[in-house]
Parts: sequence; C-alpha cells; structure tokens
Amino acid sequence: MDRRNFLTGLLAASTLFSLPSRALAFGESSRLVFAQGRYEGNWAPRRNALRRLAFEIGTRTSIVTSPQEKPLDLHAPELFRHPFLYLAGDAALPNLGQTALDNLRRYVTYGGFVLCDGSDGGGAFARSCEALFAEILPGQQAGRIPPEHVLYKSFYLVDHPAGRTLQRPWQSGFVHNGRLAVVVTENDLGGAWSRDELGSWEYEVSPGGETQRELAFRLGVNTVMYAMCTDYKEDQVHIPFIMKRRR
Amino acid sequence: MVDEIYNDWRLVSLSPWPAWALVLLGLAALAGVALAWWGLRRENRPWRRRGLVTLRTLSMAAALFVVLEPGIRLLQTSRVKNRLAVLVDGSASMAFPADAAGPTRAAVAGSYLQQVAPELAELAERYTLEFHRFDGDLSPADLGVLQQAPEPKGEKTDLLGALETAAGGGNAAGRKLVGALVLSDGGDNVDLQGGIAGAAREKLEKLQIPVSTVAVGGGSLQDLAVETVKVEDFAFVRNTVEVQATLTASEMQAIDVPVTLRREGQVVAQQTVRIEPGKREHPVRFRFTPDQIGEFVFTVAAPVYEGEAIRSNNSRSFVLKVIRDRVRTLLVVGRPSWDERYLRMLLKTDPNVDLISFFILRTPQDNPRAQEHELSLIPFPVEEIFDKQLKSFDLVVFQNFAYRPYRMEGYLPNIRKYVEEGGAFVMVGGENSFGEGGYQSSPLAEMIPVDPAGSAPNEQLFLPRLTEDGLRHPITQLAASPEANQQTWASLPQLPGVNVTRPKDGAQVLLDHPHLTVGGVNAPVLAVREYGRGRAMALTTDASWYWSLVAAGQSGGSSRTYERIWSNAIRWLVRDPELTPVRVQVVQDTVEPGQPVAATITARRTDYGPADGAEVQVQLVDAETGRVVGAQRLATGPDGMARAELEAPGPGAFKVKADASLAGAALGSGEDAVAVRAASAERSDARPRPDLLRAISDVTGGGHVEAASGSLPPLGLSDPEVVEVGRAKDRPIWDRWWALAALACCLSGEWVLRRRWGYF
Repeated sequence: MDRRNFLTGLLAASTLFSLPSRALAFGESSRLVFAQGRYEGNWAPRRNALRRLAFEIGTRTSIVTSPQEKPLDLHAPELFRHPFLYLAGDAALPNLGQTALDNLRRYVTYGGFVLCDGSDGGGAFARSCEALFAEILPGQQAGRIPPEHVLYKSFYLVDHPAGRTLQRPWQSGFVHNGRLAVVVTENDLGGAWSRDELGSWEYEVSPGGETQRELAFRLGVNTVMYAMCTDYKEDQVHIPFIMKRRR
Repeated sequence: MVDEIYNDWRLVSLSPWPAWALVLLGLAALAGVALAWWGLRRENRPWRRRGLVTLRTLSMAAALFVVLEPGIRLLQTSRVKNRLAVLVDGSASMAFPADAAGPTRAAVAGSYLQQVAPELAELAERYTLEFHRFDGDLSPADLGVLQQAPEPKGEKTDLLGALETAAGGGNAAGRKLVGALVLSDGGDNVDLQGGIAGAAREKLEKLQIPVSTVAVGGGSLQDLAVETVKVEDFAFVRNTVEVQATLTASEMQAIDVPVTLRREGQVVAQQTVRIEPGKREHPVRFRFTPDQIGEFVFTVAAPVYEGEAIRSNNSRSFVLKVIRDRVRTLLVVGRPSWDERYLRMLLKTDPNVDLISFFILRTPQDNPRAQEHELSLIPFPVEEIFDKQLKSFDLVVFQNFAYRPYRMEGYLPNIRKYVEEGGAFVMVGGENSFGEGGYQSSPLAEMIPVDPAGSAPNEQLFLPRLTEDGLRHPITQLAASPEANQQTWASLPQLPGVNVTRPKDGAQVLLDHPHLTVGGVNAPVLAVREYGRGRAMALTTDASWYWSLVAAGQSGGSSRTYERIWSNAIRWLVRDPELTPVRVQVVQDTVEPGQPVAATITARRTDYGPADGAEVQVQLVDAETGRVVGAQRLATGPDGMARAELEAPGPGAFKVKADASLAGAALGSGEDAVAVRAASAERSDARPRPDLLRAISDVTGGGHVEAASGSLPPLGLSDPEVVEVGRAKDRPIWDRWWALAALACCLSGEWVLRRRWGYF
C-alpha cells in the first residue's frame, strides 16, 4: 500500500466516523442506502457523488444514511431491497435487455424511485432514460416537472433545479399511481456532489459556482426526501407556512 | 179481510214456463205478425192490410197474455230502520281530566250519554242504534255500560279507522249506515293526527255519511311535554349533529325551562327554553359532536312541574347510530424511512382513511445549512395534536418516534386516556420505539402490548412465525383457509431485525420470532391487546415494508400482503363491525311501553364462519345505572343466529348485551342500544282536539256540539228507505173469460175477413 492509498483509506474511514451519531438499531435495512444502477458502459461517471450526498443528507436531515452506495445490476432481485435507484451515465443507455426492463417495470410499479442523472452535457443520456421509461411504463411520456411540484419544497424551498451545469433549467419525470416515480435531469447533479477522498470538490460548478453547488445539494436532499415522504409537504397543515415563506 | 194486511202490489208473471221458452213464444208471436204483414204486402187497399194485421197483432197479444199468465202480487211492506252508529272513545287519553281538576273525559262522556238517553230513545224508533267503543280498534258495546264510563285503556285513537269499520259493517243485508255520532276528545294519533287534509279528507268523504261529533273535554290543562324529537337515523363521528325537539306547553306560566339532552345518563347538551303563556309550541335545538362510534340512546328531558296533568311526557328517548365517515389516522414518524414511506403511501391512497401525518425531518442535531425561510419545515405542533385534536382521531400510529426530544411527557397520559376511552394506538418498531424510545417508563407502558427485554435490537434475518392466536386472528388472515394462510406467511421475505420485547399479560401475540427468545418465550413481532375500551398493537420491526416492495420483487410476488395486513389491522383496531365475532341488533331501537325488547344475536367462530350451537347469554342492562333488568340464555342455529325477546322493562335507555361461547371457549361479546318510551303517543299528548272533531263534522255534513251542551248535535240523517218484508200473495188475472174471448174473436175475425177478401 503506497502513501496515497493509505491516506485515501484513512480519509474514507474518517468520513464514516464523521456521520451523525444516531442509534442505528436495525443495521443497513433501516438506513437509506443508494442503489446505483449497473449496466454495460460508464454507469458511474461520478464515483464519489452518492457517498457525499449521503453524508450531506445525514448531517442536514433526520434521515439516517449509509455512506456506501450499492452498485446493482438492473436485473438483480436485490434491487427491490433499495427503493432509491440512482441511474447515472455520460452517454445514451445501451440496450439493457428484457430481464432488466421487466425488473425495472416491477420496481417502479411497486414503489421504487429512480433518479436519472446525465453528465454528458448533451442530453443523450437523459433522452435515452426518458425513452427507456416510456417503454417501461406503457402509455406514459416524460413530462416536465412543474416548479410548484412538491419535489421543490420537500425540505428546502428550491426555486429551480441545478447541478454541475445548467444544461436544462427543468427536470422531467414520470408519474405512476399519483406519485413521481422517475426523475430525469441532464444537469449532472453527481458532478456537483462529488468530492474526492482529500476533501476537494472534483468538478467546477458553472455558471453559479458554489451557490449553485449548494443548490444541487439541496435538490439532492429534496429528491431523497420526496422519495421517502412522497407528497407529505402537500398536506394541508404545511401549506400556510410554505405560502408565507414563498413570498 | 185478509187483503187488509197487504199494503202494496206488483204485476208479475205466474207462468210455470222457463224464461227462455217465454222468449221463444214472444218471438213466435212477432213472427206471426210479420208473416201476416208479408202476405198482405201486395194488397192495394191499405185499410184492408191494416185491418188484418191489427187483428193478427191482437190475436198474438191475447195468446201471449194467456201464456204469460199475468197476476197481481200483493205485498205487506214496512219501512226498515237504517243504522246509526254511536262511537264512544275508549282510548287512554279519555282518562285525562276534561278540564283542570275536573272529572275524566270518559266520565263526561258517560254522563253525556245519560243526558241524551231520551233523545237516543226517540231516534231508536226510526233508526237502529249501534253502540261501539273505539281506540285503535272498534268493538260493540252496550249503552248501559258506556253510560257507566268504563276505564279507557286503548293505546291508540283511530277515528277514521273506527268510522270505516262501522260503515263497512252492517249486521243485516240492506241495512244501510246513514250516520255516525262520535263522542271523543279528538286526540287522534293515527290518520287524522295531522288534521284533515289530502288522503284523510278523501277517506272521510268516501264514507258518504254525515258524521256528527260531540267534543268531550275542551278545557285547559296544565302540562309540559317533549312532543317531538327530530334527528337523522345516523350521524358521523366527530361531525356536528343537530337534534330538533318541540316542547309543548299548555297553561304554563312564563318560566325558563332547562331542557337537557342526555346520552345514557350523561348530559351532552343543555338549552334553556323560555315558556311564553299562550304559545303552545316551543322549538328546542341541540347541537353536539359525538366522539364515539356505536349505537347510543339519547334522551331529551324537561323537568316535571307541580300541577302537570301528565308527568310521563316530559322526556323522549331516541337511538342514534354514530358511524365513521373515514378512519381518521394520525401518523407520527420519528424520521423518514422506507417503512414510513410505504405505510404513508398505503394510508394516503386508502379512500377509507383520512390521514394526518407529522414527520420529524430535522432533529436538533441536524444542520440544514440554510435559513428558516429557505426551509419548508414547520414546528411540530405537539400541544395542538396531543391536547386539542387527539380525540378527533380514530387511530394513532407512532412509527419509530421518540417522545422525549419533543417534551411530550405531559401529553402521554392524554394518549393513554384516549385509548382507554375507545381510541386505537399502534407502535411500529425502530431505534426510537419501545424500550429504545424510553416507553417502558412512560405513561404508555401499561398500554403497549409488549415490554422491552432490555437488550439491543436483534439484526438477524428471520421469518416471522404465525402463532396459535395468529392462526385465527382477523389481522393475520391473509387467505381463506388455514393452510393457505400458513403458506402465504411462509412465502414472505425475511425481515432484517426486531426490537427485542416480551409479551405483556393479556396481550395476544399473532406473530413471533422463530428462534429469538426472551425468558423462554419467543419474542413477539406482532402483538395486540384490548386496553379499556380501546385497542393497541405493537409491530416490533421497522421493515414491514419488505412485505410490499421486497415481496413484489420475488417471483410472482406482489404488495398485496402488505396492504392486506395493514387493512386488517386498521379494521380490527377501529372495531369494524364486520370483524366483530358477536353482533347484537335490536329489532326496533325504540319500543313502546309494554312491548318486549327483541334482538338478533349473530355469533361467528374464530375463523369468522357462523357459530352453530353457540351458547349466548343475553342481558338487558339499564344504560344509565348499569343494572341488569332482564336476562335470557339462548343457543344459535346453523346460521350462527339467535333471537332474544326480553320482558319489557320500565321506560328509559337500555343496552342489550350478549356474550357468546362455543364448546366452552368464549367467542366474544356485543351490544346494541334500545329506548323504551316513557309514554305512548296516546298517553303523552293530553290535548283535547275539538277543532278536529268540528272539522270532521263540517267535511261530512254532520253536526257538532260540546258534551257540556247535554243534547245531541244535528245529525243530518236521511229518512229510512222502504223495503219489502213480511208476506206476499199472488192473484192470477190471466184466467179471466175475456182474455180467451178476445183471442177467439180476433182469430175468428181475421179468418172470416181473409175468406171474404179471397186470401185463402
């Protein structure tokens, strides 16, 4: 083991210990563990993104997170133990095969949530995800998520979506049984979240700089919060407070 | 000499021939005339033709006269007496005083009949007088008995029914009812209760006789009564119910009357009504919000004042069924998790559930790195929920929620009381639940079906095991047969951990851990218990969501099991009647005095099939005092049903309670409510109604007087018709010589003329 690897491991371990101290009674099953979709191609263009987002969610909210995401094949039965699937890429998705499609269809139908995050800058990955889920969910097309959607007020009050880039100032999604089941962005959220083992941000955020990075984190928190609480913030009791703060 | 007894006659035929033979002979006679005319059609001299046809016609007429054998029927006739019905009111209201502190109305009616006896005797010469006593029915009576004013006992006054029965009677053919005389206080409580209008008026007119009336009692009486109570048959729990009552006052002074609405002894609302002298009806309106589901007896009551004519009509009871609109559920969650998410989705999408949820999204240790105005978070309204609104919920769910950080110690007794009084509570596992959440030393400890074992949560994967109780309990019924149910449970995915607890005494463990034991007993996973009037459930895992998404990921799996378990649990917790093993339904929820209380008891076995041959102990219990006033032992039939009939208790609010057991094992118990009226409508309304009697007379053309007049009203009767009675005698007139002579003369005359004029 060279010095660099040693330091990297040490920092990774320190990240684990720096997670908020909570009574973790039931092990992994009681925490939020991100599943990351694995397929033929560059399925993890931002390898440190989810780890950092998990840390931020753990420190900012009451959600208990696991620092290590779980890479899973899209046809794997284990996918169903992790209701949040992060699907990333820097190019259009390849043909995933019928087994994966059937698996994803059941996953979404029975309550799974999918965040598709394109980092290619051209929108090819996002468009391929939209086509994939349009095929998976017959009769549905990707729709633009309106700015007043509960996704943008599930924890933070977010005005507009942003990631490492502002490639597209809106996100698209698929609604299934009244809930947003799939969110597609091409603003490279993972790029804004990624931090290396030495604590440095891996990618510059443009055009908004660090403010935009914070916005990307807030959007990440909100997305996870929405996946876990659905439309909780649409409940009648919250509306007067949110209206007041939106002014 | 004999003929002097006959005073009428009729022309008749005495012929022994049947009618058809006589008709044929008549036709033959006509044919004879026609042939004569036909034979003379070419005769140019009309007088000849007319002469011969006239002679033929006279011949035929004379022949018919002889054949028909006409005679005179002498009759002895007389005028028949038509019927006049005298109807005397024998209903219970006739026992009320005619005037304040005066004799009873029945006594006044008796005296009146004595006073008008001479007039009645005079009428009896021309009419057949029929005396009847009526209440809800009509029965013949003797004038002498009626004059003695027998005790009136009838529980109804049906004036129109009595008149219709009298008109339809008639004890002899042809004897027509030409009029009726009614002695009554007018207190009708059947068809004419609302006065004479519509169908009632039509029925009166259809009688086609003058009905004369004598009003008995028209004086004033001091009385206060709760006359009517209007309320819907059912109400939704926690929704305002309006009860409209009418307080009637007669000869009362100007006073403030406190009118109460009681639910089985407890006052739920009170109104003060200002009695205005001269005003009879005083509306009272109660508004209240029922906070429990079930059937309850309510009573609207006013105090009894000195000098009232009737003391039993100052209260009126009714049964109100309070039902659930939707299951109002409070979900309190310690932190977002997949377990929370799946439960929220289930509750949110269930049309029968009205969900109010509070999630702790941020704890004091969390740093959102944002200003308050950049967050959508709201303060956790502890006081609002657990003090003011708690009673409005049917079900409270604590999911992995720690109470201490939110200074809730002071509110936990409210939750315990809420369950004691009929609420439902669920604690779902997690690192903030049960012992980990410090609940073992909280006011909720005695209510929760499990006690913490004092050890850390167990994280081993395990498959929950269905217990003996779980095999039969409605919550854990996922399939129709026990085998299929076991199979369904066995096919579910393993769960990743439990809070380690032990069952409390009195708790039913439905699912337990297959190998983790506490004090030699397998650790419970799902346990329920009754607490006070409410119910509590403990689910010691925070991964019941595995029964949804993870189960759906298995080959051929779905989330139906998860939905079914929670649906069953909610129904059981909020006491869905369909999941009640013993159900009691009274046949009538308001019973008249003297009537028995009837109820149907339905018993189900533990697998919810009909319990054939179950022993049922039924009790009638005073709802206000808890005293048992009647009891019965029964056995159910093959349909699991038994019918109870209990002796009529006194007036008041009662519960019919039933306990059922099958082969010595208790099945459960159930109850229903019944109100026994303090007084029948007949006995609760003291008002005489001379106006109604006058209206009857006006509509039918009869007369009307007050009994005090001591004379009969103008009866407007028609004279009797003349009808045949007695003897009859026939005298033939056809056997006279002139009839045969006329026949012979006509025939021979025609023959002679025909010969002479050359027609032969």
